[in-house]
Amino acid sequence: MSAPTQAMTSTADAVLNRAEPDGAAGAAVPAALDGPKAVTTRRKKKAKRSDAVKRAERTGWAFMAPFVILFAIVFIIPIIWAIKSSFYQQVAVGGGAYGGGQLVNQFVGLQNFQYVITSGDFWAGIGRVLIYTVIQVPIMIIAALALAMLLDSFLVKHVTVFRLSYFLPYAIPGVVASIIWVFLYNGQISPIVKGLAALGINVDFFANNVVLASMANITTWTFTGYNMLIFLASLQAIPHDLYEAARIDGANGFQIAMKIKLPNVRGAALLAMLLSIVGTIQLFNEPQVMQTADPGISSSYTPMMMALNTSRGFLTPKGDGPASAIAIVMAFIAGILAMIYALVERKVNES
Amino acid sequence: MRTTKKMIAGVAAVAALAMGLAGCGSGSDSSSSSSSDEVVKITYMHRLPDSDGMTTVDEIVSQWNKAHPNIQVTATKFSGNASDMIKKLETDVNAGNAPDLAQVGYAELPEVYTKGMLEDVTEYAEQYKDDFASGPYSLMQVDGKTYGLPQDTGPLVYFYDKAAFDELGLTVPTTQEELISEAETAAKSGKYIMSFQADEAGNMLSGLAGASGSWYTIKDDAWVVNTETDGSKAVASVYQTLLDNKAVTTYPRWDPTFDAALQDGTLIGTIGAAWEAPLLMDSIGDSGKGNWAVAQLGDWFDNGGKTGPDGGSGVAVLKGCEHPKEAMEFLDWFNTQVDGLISQGLVVAANTSDAKTPDSWKEYFSGQDIMQEFIKANDNMGDFTYIPGFSAVATAMTNAASKAADGSGTVEQIFTDAQTTSIATLKDYGLSVSE
Repeated sequence: MSAPTQAMTSTADAVLNRAEPDGAAGAAVPAALDGPKAVTTRRKKKAKRSDAVKRAERTGWAFMAPFVILFAIVFIIPIIWAIKSSFYQQVAVGGGAYGGGQLVNQFVGLQNFQYVITSGDFWAGIGRVLIYTVIQVPIMIIAALALAMLLDSFLVKHVTVFRLSYFLPYAIPGVVASIIWVFLYNGQISPIVKGLAALGINVDFFANNVVLASMANITTWTFTGYNMLIFLASLQAIPHDLYEAARIDGANGFQIAMKIKLPNVRGAALLAMLLSIVGTIQLFNEPQVMQTADPGISSSYTPMMMALNTSRGFLTPKGDGPASAIAIVMAFIAGILAMIYALVERKVNES
Repeated sequence: MRTTKKMIAGVAAVAALAMGLAGCGSGSDSSSSSSSDEVVKITYMHRLPDSDGMTTVDEIVSQWNKAHPNIQVTATKFSGNASDMIKKLETDVNAGNAPDLAQVGYAELPEVYTKGMLEDVTEYAEQYKDDFASGPYSLMQVDGKTYGLPQDTGPLVYFYDKAAFDELGLTVPTTQEELISEAETAAKSGKYIMSFQADEAGNMLSGLAGASGSWYTIKDDAWVVNTETDGSKAVASVYQTLLDNKAVTTYPRWDPTFDAALQDGTLIGTIGAAWEAPLLMDSIGDSGKGNWAVAQLGDWFDNGGKTGPDGGSGVAVLKGCEHPKEAMEFLDWFNTQVDGLISQGLVVAANTSDAKTPDSWKEYFSGQDIMQEFIKANDNMGDFTYIPGFSAVATAMTNAASKAADGSGTVEQIFTDAQTTSIATLKDYGLSVSE
């Protein structure tokens, strides 16, 4: 056993020793040891105790195991694998026009990253998701907050029904939601398009400058209810004596909403914004599904689509190496954005 | 340090080997397949439609299983996008649990070969050679070695609504000028006799352009790429004229708008691969029953009326297959089940028996023996060699085509992009390109 572990066990022993004298556990252990034959030296006692500690540690790990094992298999190992493969590219080395029928992994250093960082398509994709985030996230958060405030006010009856129905779209898988909306956007069969046309408004939801907004609409439809729940939970956690105090001070309902409720959900807002930003940066379902209806949505429309299509060999350079590099660069960008947002939020809170 | 590395490599190799052994044909542990009472298990992954009214793959396979107790075949349908199947198989082959047999498109075969996913079965294939037309048989070969057997071909033909044509006083155009003027005539009455399908650009436009000559040739073990042939230029100019004059639909082939246009009678003619016949019947529905017909492409693209390939596939033996001999025995039998395969909408590559048009098709296509039209088109098809990585070329063509469809790009650009992407892709695979 290495030195640090020993040190840790003895610290644990010290803690146990201190806790023992008059505790129930302390009574039980001496009872077991004070048998007629037992010669309880300090050394033996210590060994016994560290066994108990070990057992406790084992139990702890056993409880952790289902999570740790799954986490390692679906998270840690794939990430390590992706990082490794981002330094390789598969090439044929057999010569001839067809390369001998075998691809080998060739170490290419940072070449894949160089490709990603200098790729115009990649940055165009980043640009799209950033525009998307800047427009979609605030709209969705404000809508969610407004709905939550409405449900939390005493204006609405049957809150449960409303809460459930706003949340319902979130229960529909993203891909299914996108398929439904593709039909609702379809110029020839959509009741929405036909209805608007009857009113004299002709819209093409797949037009180049509209299609991003069409996607944003799907996301908003799906996730507003979810974010509303986050806000609602935090609104309902506000102690009611604050409202009472405000009423005694002569505040009306609107003033309570603005001066008490709103400042108190700031933490929830940070969480919702953060989750939404990270989610929209990874925009994938909506454009991927809408591509069948609109080939104008290119294979590198968003960075996540670009990663998938690179790995499928639809884009050049192809394969898992460049695809992993795209994913890793994306993760960095999303991480940096989330950090900037958290810092800005803290600054705003301090001032 | 060095010994550790070696050990790790050794362990990895053993693990890989074990996975490889456990993979294909799992179930029969002993490798001595020669003993007669041992059951060999073969797995087969396909992407045939298996729709209502067809003889399903499982039904065909169960006939085989009954007659061959020692070679038991399990067929699985891959239900995702056809284009996703390669990635799935690639992963499976690397993990050592790939099926023994898998459907592979002719356009995909070179790519799949270069990716190291195929098993050389030349020695077993020779004896089955005469069961298939020579063109498709050679499409299952790379560098003179055979990797499977052909199943169907996809000659491009012209599907049209004869009743609607009669109403407008049109006949199937035979020349380029006729095509353009008739398209304009039809467009004036809100009908379209041609469709520009951006999502199928990579398959269809390459086929139409390839009718007059292949884009890819091999010279001294290096690829010579020319996607801007006279054939390509003719295709570009015809479609550009039609697009400019708004005499062609731009609905994507696999979007509901395409089906809707067929159903409401705005789209009354389209170029399509032979295997699209049952799909179009589905799309058009009963309203068009008895009105539609099939014709050969006219001399529309400066190539004397030749046609080109769009799709068509064979079944390849994948790397790691333990029983290639038995797999090929089954495969030859399966790919010559002409009636069953025709019911799946295939123009079969087998020449063991006459291909007959199913009655339901005859009924739909105004009594026409459309299989004869498909066979005629098949015999009139130009050769086209595909490169490893053609899927990237097809993607680039689709992107450019969607720009051409909405007017922000040109049709010519599709072929220019095909050229640059072809060269970039070949180089990315580590293959030599002669420029």
